[in-house]
Amino acid sequence: MVQVAVQPERQARRKLGGRHVRIVAGVAVSLLFLFPVFWMVMTSFKQQVDIFTTPPKLFFTPTFSTYAEYLQRADIVRRLINTVIVAVGAGVLSIIVGAMSGYALARIKLRGAHTFGLLILLSRGVPPIALAVPMFLVARKMGLADQHITLILAYCTFLIPYVMWLMRSFFVSLPRELEESAMIDGCSRYGAFFKIIVPISMPGLLSTLIFSMILAWEELLFALVLTNRFASTMPVAIAGIAGDTVNGANWAALTAVGTITVIPVVIFALLVQKWLIQGLADGATKG
Amino acid sequence: MTDAALARRRNHGKWKDLLVRWSFMLPTIVLLTAVLAYPLFYTLQISFSYFDMSIFGAGEWVGWENYETVINDYRFWESLRVTLIYLIIALPLQVALGFGIAFLINAEWGGRGLLRALFIIPMVVAPVVAGGVWRMILDPLWGTMNFLLGLVGIGPFDWFGDPQLAMATIIIIDTWRWTPFIVLIATAALLALPRDVFEAAKIDGASWWATLWSVALPLLVPIIAATFVIRWLGAVKLFDIVLASTFGGPGKATSVINLFIYEEAFRSFHFAESAAMVMIVLVLTMILTGLFLRGSRKLEELY
Repeated sequence: MVQVAVQPERQARRKLGGRHVRIVAGVAVSLLFLFPVFWMVMTSFKQQVDIFTTPPKLFFTPTFSTYAEYLQRADIVRRLINTVIVAVGAGVLSIIVGAMSGYALARIKLRGAHTFGLLILLSRGVPPIALAVPMFLVARKMGLADQHITLILAYCTFLIPYVMWLMRSFFVSLPRELEESAMIDGCSRYGAFFKIIVPISMPGLLSTLIFSMILAWEELLFALVLTNRFASTMPVAIAGIAGDTVNGANWAALTAVGTITVIPVVIFALLVQKWLIQGLADGATKG
Repeated sequence: MTDAALARRRNHGKWKDLLVRWSFMLPTIVLLTAVLAYPLFYTLQISFSYFDMSIFGAGEWVGWENYETVINDYRFWESLRVTLIYLIIALPLQVALGFGIAFLINAEWGGRGLLRALFIIPMVVAPVVAGGVWRMILDPLWGTMNFLLGLVGIGPFDWFGDPQLAMATIIIIDTWRWTPFIVLIATAALLALPRDVFEAAKIDGASWWATLWSVALPLLVPIIAATFVIRWLGAVKLFDIVLASTFGGPGKATSVINLFIYEEAFRSFHFAESAAMVMIVLVLTMILTGLFLRGSRKLEELY
């Protein structure tokens, strides 16, 4: 009798100890992973004299001069606008096209559609460099080099498969009766999809859209190959600053432009974090 | 109305329905044929052709010549070797770290949600930014890393000058950028584990280690395998981080295959040879991806 009473207490205490260790270790690891981002933001507010010091300075008088300088430069502003255009364009196009085919795969009986679906799934293993060479040549020939639309279409190569498979698993989990009853009530297939399915799938659609836009926002290889001056994006600017070996790395510029690139993405990602994690899990298990 | 007219009408409706059904799939098929299938076939054509600079396109057919050139190029093999080393070290490391950290940050307390949210941040830092910022942190002269290591009496290291260290640098940056992604997948997986099994194990008096090894792990094997496949699909695309941090150096020590092909195509304008390399890499990737997908399905059935 006594033993029974003691044991749970001891067990609880041991579990508690383990839990504390886990909490402390978890916080420590999180801080470790956040440090580079923290350091990037810190450095972006430093003057040159505060950057190149030993030991590295933790306290300094912050300056906005790097931001002021780079946000006034025409090429950076233009690239920022380009990145927005391309990310939104590619995101919206692929969510519409990808959600429709994802729905087709989930709910509509189509002979042979499954084969297409599998082929598209397999295409996620195609390295972008395999597409970059011919795209560059074709875009040049057709006069489409350095255009937003070229980059938007190039991003569809990886965004549509991503959206399609993610939304397919989302649509599969919806109850079938939803559109069946709508279609019995005289809705067309389009009506059932756009008036019934799309509205209730809004959270999933929105988070997939945001994640697609993030992927397009960060893409470097296609942007490097397919754009030049007119349609070039922020990652290209950063690659340029980081790879500038003539003047040496301009850390203030690198971190300021880096921060400008990262901040909007972080805000959006945190807004949809719950759905983002769910989407990741679904992508891993059902993709 | 005659029977024939009725039948025609029904038939018409059937065709219309078929058209409507396919119209959901069609935009994807058309777009991906144009931007994915067509470029791949064009690459295939270029890989068997002489590249004509005057028309900037595929010239006459040369058979396997480009492939022979590539296979006899030691730099190509060197680049494949470097890529393989990266994959063999980085992938298991990231998957193991990701699941380990997920276990840590899932301890139940008030700040759990916050920690999970914080792990989203490195995951959405553009890889090219990650490369650039880490280049700054690891700078041999002014970098924070060497300073911090110096405090505990280690180093200084020349992170970008030594071939092996440069590879370690790439793996460190890549691991920093991608482990959070695995942490989040693993977190969702851990939360989805059935609680009653663990309670049963506890009642049976299983030790903590035994519970982890023979209860949790088998349940997690399918998702670990799936995570591995997803990470593999991302890892074969490694490019941005290398471009922004080591640029393939020193020498060609970190010139992973994507960077090497990029340089050959767009700096040296060896489009035909690049196309041949692309086809070889594509076939290798497809075979391995197929194998991994199969393997992960098998594991899923097994457990």
